[in-house]
Amino acid sequence: MNRESCISLFESEGFDLPVLKEIAAVASVMMPIGENWTVSRCRYSPEGETKGRLCIATGIHGDERMGQLVAYEVAQRIMREPEHLQGIVDLYPMLNAIGLDVGQRMVPTSTMLDMNRVFPGNPDGTALESICHAVLEDMKGADLVLDIHTSSQITSELYGVRLHERHAEEMIPGCAALCPRVMWVLPDKPVHSASLTGALSMAGTKAVVLMVDERRLRVQTVVCEVVDGIFCKMKEMGLWSGETKAAPAQESIPCMWEATDICRVTCRHPGVYVPRELNGTVVREGDVLGTIIDALEGETLETVVAPESGLVFTERRYSAVYPGTLIARLCRKERA
Amino acid sequence: MKKDVIFTVPSYFRDDMNIMGYRFGKGEKSCAVLGALRGNEIQQLYVCARLVAFLREVERDGGIMPGKSVLVVPTAIGLSMNAGTRLWAPENTDINRCFPGDMEGATTEQIAGALFDKLKAYKYGVQLTSFYQPGAFVPHVRMMETGRQNPELGCEFGLPYVYVRTPRISDKTTLNYCWQLAGTQAYSLYAGKTQEIDEAAADQTLRAIIRFLNGRGIIRSEQTPGQKSAVITNEDIITVTSKHAGLLRRVKHAGAHVRRGEQLAFVINPLDGSVKEMLKTPVTGMLFFIQDGPFVTEHSPVFQVLSK
Repeated sequence: MNRESCISLFESEGFDLPVLKEIAAVASVMMPIGENWTVSRCRYSPEGETKGRLCIATGIHGDERMGQLVAYEVAQRIMREPEHLQGIVDLYPMLNAIGLDVGQRMVPTSTMLDMNRVFPGNPDGTALESICHAVLEDMKGADLVLDIHTSSQITSELYGVRLHERHAEEMIPGCAALCPRVMWVLPDKPVHSASLTGALSMAGTKAVVLMVDERRLRVQTVVCEVVDGIFCKMKEMGLWSGETKAAPAQESIPCMWEATDICRVTCRHPGVYVPRELNGTVVREGDVLGTIIDALEGETLETVVAPESGLVFTERRYSAVYPGTLIARLCRKERA
Repeated sequence: MKKDVIFTVPSYFRDDMNIMGYRFGKGEKSCAVLGALRGNEIQQLYVCARLVAFLREVERDGGIMPGKSVLVVPTAIGLSMNAGTRLWAPENTDINRCFPGDMEGATTEQIAGALFDKLKAYKYGVQLTSFYQPGAFVPHVRMMETGRQNPELGCEFGLPYVYVRTPRISDKTTLNYCWQLAGTQAYSLYAGKTQEIDEAAADQTLRAIIRFLNGRGIIRSEQTPGQKSAVITNEDIITVTSKHAGLLRRVKHAGAHVRRGEQLAFVINPLDGSVKEMLKTPVTGMLFFIQDGPFVTEHSPVFQVLSK
């Protein structure tokens, strides 16, 4: 869809307070045959004084489409109650637009790179590097950036916040307002610094990853959980004055700081993994997580059990596995 | 010659993938040579296969020096090579972004971990590698600037250039970077093309490795004299980037000497054939890299010109 940059004012029924809606191209690169790869941003801002800025990015991996619905729902809620918007909300729903179109995780140009490993980018670099640079520059200075990722084709993730060690201590209290089921502090590794949130953290802008579970059939339920959390956080930041759900106490959300807070469950045999779909539940030691089957011989090769009790927050989907493949991650802070 | 299985990835749908290592000589772990880490590194596999064949003859003739040994690993990604995918297909990951690896991690991390465990014991390391863009380089030796790099020793390959590159953040999980930090004198060799066999570049790369092994006293064999190498850095390379997108028609090829203002390529409208842009070199020098894909996007780095 070719979109023209536009600015419009809209008024909700019964209210006189307009909200400014502005669509702008943050970055654009010509593709060989009659197409531009454009990263667009839709900005919602109140008239007059603003109390801060929240950026919501999604679609950096083309096989993760759940963020489209999250961005849509955020926009819908703002438009339903525009009088409550007190600050700027920037939505970037289609960072890797070509990948999203063809359902491919990487950027489907000749280089086939992971966009989330190219930040901070380079204005004089390749098409991808120049896009990443422009996106980063546009987001810098925001009060918070949320980068929404979803379960991939091979794993299912519980709704959670992932944040970088660098700013974890100061950010964790505020992240509770996003109402995640778990929080996970990622260790400072070089590879994380090349991600969008890693590069923003390095540049001094607070940024976290929201992992969204799209495993369940009723996607609206999942999205509602995430969007409720976003508005709860917006209220805490002073960007939203409308009704939201109450922010949970920080202590009620398990937060994994160390590698020892997580139990990684792997398998021993190659085969096809059939999960029991336990994500989000607390399992006990010895509980069956799933089985590895051999379709050719009609046999069960392995029954994968929980080596200890904990909350399942990552679960392998129905897929081919190799010895050592990650089957599940259990949060040790949530015991049965 | 001893043939070892360095690591096995059991597969359910297909045959197990064995990563094979070919060892020559006994004693000190002198030099390790690694070929394909990506499924499209055909040229890199080919050079290794020819090196194994060559060393087999050298060993038969008593040319491996006493107390020295060489390991050659032609490929660590046979399953993807057979399937025609560049990355490790099941998880879509790049093994050369998984070093130093993790034996408790995902499959690619295990592959990297098992390889690294073997490779880091060697005094010298040679990786035959490829660029992330489709294209051709003038054959050269490359290494990351880690503080432990030794470009003078890299000159012993006898290739015209030794390129010391400042690492980006994402480079810190590559084999070359981690290998150097582990104490091995590690070099990456760019052997011309990637997805197809380039005989001339393969010959040149093979001769360079043989020269290095002779120079380091690891083997004794016939060799051809090398060239005097120039050590270059990022600052010596000028990138020529397209401002328009379209079909790319090249006029010049890798290795060509060009004068400032000379035409290098045309970007053509893919529908009506009109010329959208003429790419010219801003400096006099040698074409160090050319992109050889049929299309370019806006901002495509099409040529690298060595101005030194």
